[in-house]
Amino acid sequence: MAHTQHRALPVLALAAAGIVALTSCGAGSRTDNANSTTVSCDYTAPEGKTTVNVLAYNSSAIDPFTDTMVSSCTTDDVTLKHDPIDFGGQVTKTTATLAGDTGTYDIIETYGFVIPGFGEEGKLVPLNDLWDKYADDYGLDEISQSMVEGMSYDGDIYAIPMQAQMFVLAYRTDIFDDLGLEVPTTFDEMITAAEAIKSAGLMEYPIALPWLATADVTTGFQGAMNSLGADFVTADGQVTLDTPEAKQAVEAMLALKPYMDPQVTTFDQPKVQQQMFNGTAAMSIMFSGRMFDLTLDSNSKLADSFGFAGAPKITADAPYSYNRLSIDGWSIPFNTKLDHDMLFQMMASAVSEDASKASVPAAYPAREGMVTEKNSPYGAAANDSIASAMPPIVSPIAADITNEIRPILVSILNGQISVDDGLAQMQAAGEKIAG
Amino acid sequence: MKAREFWLLFFPSLLIMGALLVLPLVRTVRWSFEQVRYGTPGTFVGLANFTDALTDPRFHRAVVFTVVVTVITTAILLVVGYIIATGINRITTSRPLVLGIMLVSYVLPNLVGAVAFSWLFDDNFGGVVNRLIGFFGGTQVLWFTDQVPNAILVIANTVWHMLPFAMLIILAGLQGVPNELKEAAKIDGANAFQTHISVIIPTIRGVLGFVTLITIMDVLRMFDNLIPLSPQAQNIGNESIMLYVYSVAFADGAENLGLGSAINVLTIILILVMLIPFIRGIFKEAKAER
Repeated sequence: MAHTQHRALPVLALAAAGIVALTSCGAGSRTDNANSTTVSCDYTAPEGKTTVNVLAYNSSAIDPFTDTMVSSCTTDDVTLKHDPIDFGGQVTKTTATLAGDTGTYDIIETYGFVIPGFGEEGKLVPLNDLWDKYADDYGLDEISQSMVEGMSYDGDIYAIPMQAQMFVLAYRTDIFDDLGLEVPTTFDEMITAAEAIKSAGLMEYPIALPWLATADVTTGFQGAMNSLGADFVTADGQVTLDTPEAKQAVEAMLALKPYMDPQVTTFDQPKVQQQMFNGTAAMSIMFSGRMFDLTLDSNSKLADSFGFAGAPKITADAPYSYNRLSIDGWSIPFNTKLDHDMLFQMMASAVSEDASKASVPAAYPAREGMVTEKNSPYGAAANDSIASAMPPIVSPIAADITNEIRPILVSILNGQISVDDGLAQMQAAGEKIAG
Repeated sequence: MKAREFWLLFFPSLLIMGALLVLPLVRTVRWSFEQVRYGTPGTFVGLANFTDALTDPRFHRAVVFTVVVTVITTAILLVVGYIIATGINRITTSRPLVLGIMLVSYVLPNLVGAVAFSWLFDDNFGGVVNRLIGFFGGTQVLWFTDQVPNAILVIANTVWHMLPFAMLIILAGLQGVPNELKEAAKIDGANAFQTHISVIIPTIRGVLGFVTLITIMDVLRMFDNLIPLSPQAQNIGNESIMLYVYSVAFADGAENLGLGSAINVLTIILILVMLIPFIRGIFKEAKAER
């Protein structure tokens, strides 16, 4: 027995040490964020202890607002509870919490793409009356009108805009200067620059775009179509995936592929960031919320070598840039049992002027004029980019179509099916959803 | 033991198993015949969910991939697990240390282990394996976008994760083999290989059957390791059945709980079919011991 114990103890000790080490990897503060702050959050608290459950995915652009809300609005009797979650988890939990008469969450993070669908299904509380009631208290009139429209459907406001993201081009200033290259404004110019960088033997795949076979790749396709003034559907619900613009958009994406890692359809934004950090890519286009990470010395020794510019166009004569304007905001689910006034004030506090100021440069707040060249390293690029983005087409079926066409689009990009066949399949899939 | 004592001790287990196993199973079977969305009562649709699943080529690909990975992984685990267990059975002083180190991959959460494992093949995060291949003059392998290399990656990760379990169970079996048997084989002139094939393996066949059973059940349900290891599993045909279920039933806001339940019922049938020989073997052995 003693011999068995003698053997078992080291095993147990090793296992225990391993478990402790592993659990410590997941530990950490949930609300400590350099770009959050404490703001005034004056609401009438309900009687007794109350918990407000907040659903918001974690990213460097969203965290400042979430953390400000949680730290500013929590009192002795009212606790705001927010657990870390990724974007995919938020999507699944949002669907689940909005399904029945009772839900898990009282405040949810939403984005422009899903507002029409949720609005049409009555899943979110219209905020118009609350907006009018509290506009002066929280300076809501200073929030960009176009972003308010982006979070509205059929005349109703369904979310308080928090921040926006748009595509921004990040590039290596040192390489561009050394080779005498101009910052690209079109896909053709990107290819020319990539050729020059490859010819100089600096890197094999100078272009990096997040085309992971999830929402990333369809967002890229939509951005390419938007550059040509088109989208997956028209405002009146016509599916437009077999149009000349759709073909031109796919061919423009394919033209970039030889200059990108062959496994690009497995690259999400963090992996594209990693390519830039590692110095294996010289140009990338990502949402602006990812740009701040590039400027941090702690992430890469190349942090000082990144420059930023507005997103390029597909072609020189395209009306808009290769771009998607994604607006994030706070919404109240229809099935929360808590007081809507209280929840609205919490949300409004989180996007107040002070909160928005603190969020820069990690985020691009929805309030007008917050981001400038002076307070954000990519501020000028973001402002240029937002000015050249096509206004979003509001359609309740766009999200479902996007999910349905994704595998077909990936098959086209991987060369498994031809462009024409793929477009025909995508059109058929889109029309099936549109009915 | 009196009947009253038996029921007193057995009832809590019965209650927990009923709540956590039987009720969800009954619900799954019921939902498989219904169209179900979150928070709403289901609508009876007959066999429509089963028809949808069985006529979907994507489901066929998922079944083929899952079964192939299961068979190959189980075979590797049995052979390699046996070899390592035999080696560890011979060491004495350093055995606890070796076992402790080997258990690391098993105690790691599957997803965490798979992410770390994927980095070995990902140039963005070091790509040690790719560097080795390059060092020996090999060309770039598309581990994440080509079907066969990706399947190898998935199998390698599954073996890496489950090998300690197989090895530990086989080691326990080896320690139960009487020395007299091995000595008798030696006296009869059997070499080491013959001793393993004709004496040791037949003696521990029950243990090997148990390892096979658990491995088949675990690998058939593989899911989370594919998230980092096969980011475009659907497009290259390396989607497991469970990943397919998640994709059609839950991902991207989908609410096809009925279809997901039907695929789960089909998966349960598949697992039972694959386990029949081993379950029969265990029953036979139990009967013989009686």
